[in-house]
Amino acid sequence: MNDCVFDLSHVSFAYPQQPALDDLSLRIRRGERIALLGANGSGKSTLLRLLDALYFPCRGELRAFGEVISEAALADDEVNFAFRRRVGLVFQNPDVQLFNPTVFDELAFGPLQLGWSSEEILRRVEAMLARFAIGHLKHRAAHRLSGGEKKRVALASVLVIDPEVLLLDEPTAALDPQSQGEVVRFLSESRDTGRTIVTATHDLEIVYDIADFVYVLADGKVVGAGAPAEILADQALLRRTHLAHAHWHVAADGLAHAHVHAHRHQHHTPIDGDSSEK
Amino acid sequence: MLSEAISLPKPPRRRHLAQRLAQGLLRAIDRAQTAESLAAGDGLLQGLDPRIKLSGALALIVSAVLTPSLGVVAGLFALALLLAWCSRLLTAGVCQRLWLSVLLFSGTVALPALVVVPGRALWQLPLLGWTVSEPGLRSAALLIARAETSSTLALLLIASTPWTHVLKAMRCVGAPRVLVAILGMTHRYIFVLAQCAAQLFEARRSRIVAPMNGAQQRALATAAAGVVLSKAFWLANEVHLAMISRGYRGEVRLLDDFHTRARDWLALLAALSVPLLILWAER
Amino acid sequence: MHIPDGYLSPATCAAAYAITVPFWVVAFKRVERLLHTRMVPLLAVFSAFSFVIMMFNLPLPGGTTGHAVGVAVAAIVLGPSAAMVAISIALLIQAVFFGDGGITTYAANCFNMAVAGSLVAYWSYVLIAGKCALDSPRRVVAAAIAGYLALNVAALLTAIEFGVQPLFFHDAAGMPLYAPYPLSIALPAMMIGHLAIAGVAELVISGGLVAYLQRANPELLAGSMPSVTSARAAVVNSTRRLWCWLAGLMLLSPLGLIAAGTAWGEWGGWGADDFAGAQIRQQMLQASGGVAPPATVPSGLERLASVWRAPIPDYAPAFLHDLYVGYIVSAVMGAGLIVLLLLLIGKWVGRQSAEF
Repeated sequence: MNDCVFDLSHVSFAYPQQPALDDLSLRIRRGERIALLGANGSGKSTLLRLLDALYFPCRGELRAFGEVISEAALADDEVNFAFRRRVGLVFQNPDVQLFNPTVFDELAFGPLQLGWSSEEILRRVEAMLARFAIGHLKHRAAHRLSGGEKKRVALASVLVIDPEVLLLDEPTAALDPQSQGEVVRFLSESRDTGRTIVTATHDLEIVYDIADFVYVLADGKVVGAGAPAEILADQALLRRTHLAHAHWHVAADGLAHAHVHAHRHQHHTPIDGDSSEK
Repeated sequence: MLSEAISLPKPPRRRHLAQRLAQGLLRAIDRAQTAESLAAGDGLLQGLDPRIKLSGALALIVSAVLTPSLGVVAGLFALALLLAWCSRLLTAGVCQRLWLSVLLFSGTVALPALVVVPGRALWQLPLLGWTVSEPGLRSAALLIARAETSSTLALLLIASTPWTHVLKAMRCVGAPRVLVAILGMTHRYIFVLAQCAAQLFEARRSRIVAPMNGAQQRALATAAAGVVLSKAFWLANEVHLAMISRGYRGEVRLLDDFHTRARDWLALLAALSVPLLILWAER
Repeated sequence: MHIPDGYLSPATCAAAYAITVPFWVVAFKRVERLLHTRMVPLLAVFSAFSFVIMMFNLPLPGGTTGHAVGVAVAAIVLGPSAAMVAISIALLIQAVFFGDGGITTYAANCFNMAVAGSLVAYWSYVLIAGKCALDSPRRVVAAAIAGYLALNVAALLTAIEFGVQPLFFHDAAGMPLYAPYPLSIALPAMMIGHLAIAGVAELVISGGLVAYLQRANPELLAGSMPSVTSARAAVVNSTRRLWCWLAGLMLLSPLGLIAAGTAWGEWGGWGADDFAGAQIRQQMLQASGGVAPPATVPSGLERLASVWRAPIPDYAPAFLHDLYVGYIVSAVMGAGLIVLLLLLIGKWVGRQSAEF
């Protein structure tokens, strides 16, 4: 089972006030690009936090890279650093993700925690600044960045340690169309890099570009799973889970990629032109 | 002057409380950003090493507080002016704004000292018959001069140095790492919370037309404070998770990269010699 | 009240650093142990909150405005140690970044507002709120009183620091080198403003925020923060420490002696001449933001003053002619009265809320 990154069996999780995940079982393999689809409160953010070992299952078992993930196991420094080195999570809210005084400090934070040498850190940070075209923002404070810039810095701050698994929480939420397009382009380009990517979203329009497999969540349970075309064609499922409204029928005919996009532009974002699919 | 004093109090301003609070918050944010852009400009102080600037500013402020002589304080103020001029900080109006607010506050505090402090009488105020004493005048002048000088010196530091550099400089002069990390983060979240509060007030203002009475205004401000408090706790928890997610284990690590040059050391030597000279003269 | 640079002598500033640093170290160590990885984000965000709260200018009865510090809310939600550190950090950023409060006087400001403020707020809240339910109105009253007391204790300490300056720090000719007013002026000038304005702002914010938390985040009042939980647990077995604190403060009360001619005893029973004195009136005018004090002593105040004078004239019981001992005895009695008052208020409010 070497290619299995995450293996969840009968996992449940509850916050002090309300339950969040209920008897969830799923498996994510190396290099897969997964979308977790669900309306607000469906438990997809909670699931991401379990996968990032920020929360731990109340019941059931979560294995990452074959090892059982528990609070006790992660209390060990070696285990913790090894895990953090391999898995990165980009939070939805940039105010949460970007907590350092400047962009440079933000990018250097992860590597510093992992105890890299300063030369190595400087080299990696410069490479990431160039990769995301944010070099000119290096000494800028987070509150002086635009929404799109914040998202790029957030991605760079996690990718700087080159994790095997990238978890993203609503990466396109509250972004302008052009910045959304950049994020989607980045995720679709990652198809063949071997990196495992799990994206939680309720934006049906990006699913084709960012995922090869989709889980649909509702009330803390998996209520649907399949290829994007399959899921997007299931109108009844999407409406039942509050992911689509009555007029939404992008994938009703289950047609090919290009057609879907043409269709979408007619109905939803007539002006964003070429932003998302190139 | 007199007509002002005897004129009726102005009618209360009709500006809504929510608007006033929102504007106050936005102005503070704006002012901080002005300081940041000034710090990024070029000039004498902007080019110095932040550690030197921090220790130098501290030394000069301590000097201003140490010296019993009005002349020395005035000299320090002139030095601060010269530095501000060389660093192109006078043109931006920040110094002038600071001097005015310090003068208003310290002036109000110091004014009664003219008549309260006993000593050789200088002249009598007409009408009231109070006598202004010479020590009273000198002590009031000393208080105001000290306050103006030290706040100008502090402003020079902050207007010529980006906040992050001040933080790193604090780290270098011996402040604990964890304190520096907290300060950096506090600064970041002041903007987040202030913006949150300002948006809240703006939203409230657009919904209220009728003027509010005092109790309603207090309720509004308290409710806003409550929302900001809830947001603060939510942020604290989320940021904690974001830090853990990136490998934070409770030990703060920072990168220090400063290079001092000859002129930095020269500036430090000059700054440190001032309080030493004063102490020596005092001896 | 943020003391600017130049108001306190270097010796006073150094003493303030010497006194405050141990509080910082102990509080910091405690918070670090209790909160571990949560400490940095929690303190940072809460300091930012306190900073933002200080920018809220509240309209107060009487047409004035004032801002709160948030020290009571910090102490109630975070516990006294974490509140001390958080408020100190907010004050540091104010001093360095916004020029509000001096750098040499930073420790004095921290001692007044962060250290003494947190301790007073926390213990008065715990004493008055007792073990009542989380949603009880008694907690709102307790928080309001805690905020009011904390701010006024801070103001009192500030006034004392101001008031001792001309006594010790003057030149050969007697000219004051720092804050020029003796205790007899500094105390009433500071206290009237704070009792009437700034304290009220803190009272409104503290009570209002606890009422808000009761509806929105009751778990924060339950002491879910580890630093509070352990402090609460400590309440049971170490109320003794509080008494030690009080005893220490009382022993320090001979500071009042420093006031020599113009001692506390005198303003404790304001004479009619003080109120008529033009200079003092002007002081009060400034301190109370332009609200003129009455030209004669209000009859109620005069009656109160005579009541206060009756049992302990000039702070020294007749049988104790030694002034020093007299001060300590009066301080003990004064502190005892305050604690008794707190307990009575607690009892009374408790009965009120039980009836709801």
